[in-house]
Amino acid sequence: MIHLRDVQKSYSRGEQSVLACAVDRLEIAPGEQVALVGRSGTGKTTLLHILAGILRADRGEVEIVGERLDRLGEAARDRHRGRHIGMVYQTFNLLQPFSALENVLMGALFGRGAGGDARLRAEALLEQVGLGERLHHRPSELSVGQVQRVAICRALINDPELVLMDEPLGNQDKATGGQVLDLMLQIATDAGKTVVMVTHDPESAERMQRTVDLATLRPQEVVA
Amino acid sequence: MRLVSISLRNLRIRLVATVLTTLSIVVATALYAAILTMAEQTEARYEGSIGGYQAIAGPNGASELELVLNTIFNVGEAPGLIPLEVCQKLRRGRGIGRRSQVRFAIPQARGDSISSFNFPVIATIDEMFSKFEWKRAPLKFAAGGPFTFSYEQLIEMAEQLTRYENALRAEVPVAERPQRPQLQEAWRECVIGARVARTLGLELGSVVTPVHGKAGEFGSHEHPEASCEIVGVLAPTNSPIDSTIYLPLGIHLLIDGHEQGVFLDPQVAGKSPAQLSAMPTEVGRIGLTAVIADPKDHMGPQILRREFGSHPEAQVAWPQDVVPKFLRQIGNAADALAVIAWLVLLVAAVSITVAIYNTMNERRREIAIMRSLGARRAQILTIITGEAALLSFFGALLGLALCHAAAYGLQGLVEDLTGVFLDWSQLRPWELWLLVGVTSIGAVAGLAPAVKGSMTQVADNLAQNY
Repeated sequence: MIHLRDVQKSYSRGEQSVLACAVDRLEIAPGEQVALVGRSGTGKTTLLHILAGILRADRGEVEIVGERLDRLGEAARDRHRGRHIGMVYQTFNLLQPFSALENVLMGALFGRGAGGDARLRAEALLEQVGLGERLHHRPSELSVGQVQRVAICRALINDPELVLMDEPLGNQDKATGGQVLDLMLQIATDAGKTVVMVTHDPESAERMQRTVDLATLRPQEVVA
Repeated sequence: MRLVSISLRNLRIRLVATVLTTLSIVVATALYAAILTMAEQTEARYEGSIGGYQAIAGPNGASELELVLNTIFNVGEAPGLIPLEVCQKLRRGRGIGRRSQVRFAIPQARGDSISSFNFPVIATIDEMFSKFEWKRAPLKFAAGGPFTFSYEQLIEMAEQLTRYENALRAEVPVAERPQRPQLQEAWRECVIGARVARTLGLELGSVVTPVHGKAGEFGSHEHPEASCEIVGVLAPTNSPIDSTIYLPLGIHLLIDGHEQGVFLDPQVAGKSPAQLSAMPTEVGRIGLTAVIADPKDHMGPQILRREFGSHPEAQVAWPQDVVPKFLRQIGNAADALAVIAWLVLLVAAVSITVAIYNTMNERRREIAIMRSLGARRAQILTIITGEAALLSFFGALLGLALCHAAAYGLQGLVEDLTGVFLDWSQLRPWELWLLVGVTSIGAVAGLAPAVKGSMTQVADNLAQNY
């Protein structure tokens, strides 16, 4: 499902180049649920963006859902992300002017397409997470937990093989966040989806099948 | 959900900016459409009015354009008079008409009007409805039919009037003078154009009274003795004919007190005006404002042109030559106005660019979110140019609607001022092209902000928590 080898990503800061992320080797099998942990600045979010194809690694092999992203152009990576990867963010990233249903459909629009039965699938997903009565509510009219559930539905609308989550519980109280994460993992497990979650929260990490500390992934020469 | 629904929603979110920007497109489109409409309908009116006859004989002092505009299009004052003998010679096939062989030569006299709308009164003969052709067909009647006043009746009446006038000039005692020809009741008939009927609510059997000069102007006065009954209402022609009242030339000539003014002085050198007006006159010296003629063959125009070239009192104007030249002048003016309209449209397009470009900073996160969902740069480009195109499309649509509404509201005023009938209900093919053109210009105007939007850095802007 995920195969990374000798991946590095640096940013320019003035004349200096700052290494944001370095991964010697990372393998994640299909259906696995993995928590990526690490101190601030170890490049967790950068790695997540590389996995999503939002960022392109400066070097190394990045194979995601059978596709070498390091060999794809930007448009192809966008298309790949839309079809095969669902994303859930700490800040939810719903579009405020659009209703819950429209936000979910937008995931379909840029993924496998919003035609055909996309609307029915979106409605079914929202009903599954208990938002059947809130289809036409805007994010500002929903509670934090409901917004998070909409974000999960949007991530799942294209039936992706891989779900990437960036601190998905960061803005919630632990009880609500735990429920939502449980719901997400339940759906993912039922559908056999691979889940990679970046988190600071040890309790959240414990819910996953495996935890990977990014510091352990760094190549020896970088650590040195 | 489609990309266009995202564009539409984005326009709705920024409603005030959208409305204001759309307004500039509305104004530009309406302005351009109004100019095109006016130019096109002016051209249609003028070009559509010159078929079926070829020549207009009128006084020498006028320009050909003046003669054509007044005689055919009711614009301005009659530039002067020509003697009836011009018409007689054209019709007899003698003199200037000898070789040209005209199909018809119809005398006209004008100078009176009706109502505050100043619908012109044209005194003529019944051949106006039997021989004259408009768009190569005789005039059609919506109701009733023509009046009866033939050329022969004109000549007979003119002879009587001449004898009476000469007796006056010779100061023959009243008892020995021939009787002034009487206005016959049978002549008190007139035919009115469609717009006259519509505007004044006139119908068959209504009575109209000509006003000397223009109603309401200093020196104008009614001619109650020349009142006549409407016997025919012409079918609409979308031409000046619609705004005209036709009555028998006999009525015009016999209006009280017109005797002295009816006859033109003879052209005799060395005589004072007083001596000339005391000299005996003849039928051929009756004054007309114009004669509409149509030569029988293609040689006719050249012969008439040559023979009228040396005529002391009359000239011949050729609407087929004059009107296109006139339209080219109008066309140049319309082109200049159209350039202004395009400039307004350009300014509106720039305002679209600025309005959307200014929103790009606040939309970076929204764009980054869409990109994170899999939107390609091209799709972001499509959404933003789509906003500009939609805005322009709606603006153009409203602009065209405004143009039609203005044409409807100002129809009467424009017709009164210019004689051009604005057909507000007609949809023309160029309107579709204008719609497409303005929409395309809008889309192009949206390209700069769209490119900026599509270049939004996804990772950086997703990390921002606005």
